[in-house]
Amino acid sequence: MILQIGLLIGLVLSSVLAILAKDLIKAAIALAAGSLLLGIVFFRMGAPYAGVFEISVVAGLITVLFILTIALTKAEGEVAESKAALWAFPVFFVLFIAIDALVMKGLMNKIPALPATAETGVFGDVLWKQRTFDLVGQLAVILSGVFAVLALFRKRDKDE
Amino acid sequence: MNSTWLLYMFFSLALIGTGIYALLAMKNLIKLFIGIEIVGKGVSLALLATGYAKANILLAQSLVVTFIVVEVCLVATALALIINVTRHTKSLDVRSLTKLRG
Repeated sequence: MILQIGLLIGLVLSSVLAILAKDLIKAAIALAAGSLLLGIVFFRMGAPYAGVFEISVVAGLITVLFILTIALTKAEGEVAESKAALWAFPVFFVLFIAIDALVMKGLMNKIPALPATAETGVFGDVLWKQRTFDLVGQLAVILSGVFAVLALFRKRDKDE
Repeated sequence: MNSTWLLYMFFSLALIGTGIYALLAMKNLIKLFIGIEIVGKGVSLALLATGYAKANILLAQSLVVTFIVVEVCLVATALALIINVTRHTKSLDVRSLTKLRG
């Protein structure tokens, strides 16, 4: 459990670093490190498939897409974040964490524990048989994503 | 089991708060999108932690996998949009989007 808490603290810290880093490449890499830690947390919770997806897709593919975008937009120069936003962040973060901890502590004995019904079977059965409708939705989302990217990078006609 | 769940919820809420701060305060389009990603991480942690606490890890896992696939499509589309907006306005600043230009 202590290792799990350490991993989660590392995840929150790397997310904070991703927001505060001035260099966008460093921010993208901090985000990838956070995904890696989250993937390890998933593995340790007994969810290997979610962990594999998190590490391979989010830490791998999305980071590549981010770095590609940063490289393609580098010519436009940097945007100076306002100093107030960067200075106010630690105050906001500490306050938010304190309120968060207080709320969670207050909820500690308020929420009745629902009866946990242990499920049986394997991951494939649950994904393909119980959540078949989700897969249809996923197909639609992937198709619309492909069409959106195609439409956004369409070559202009000569007469336009 | 309940306290474990609340511990995970604490961290997931911390992630969501961090992401929302980035969405509210940052000006760089890519930084804003990193904020959205962090909120997404918090949400998937919350989903899986709830499944873990209720011994329903397989169902939660399938939901998280669905969420990750949808997230990748979102990232591809949004980054393509960011590249196009940047080419159009010649700046990564989100405030340049308020100027309407033909």
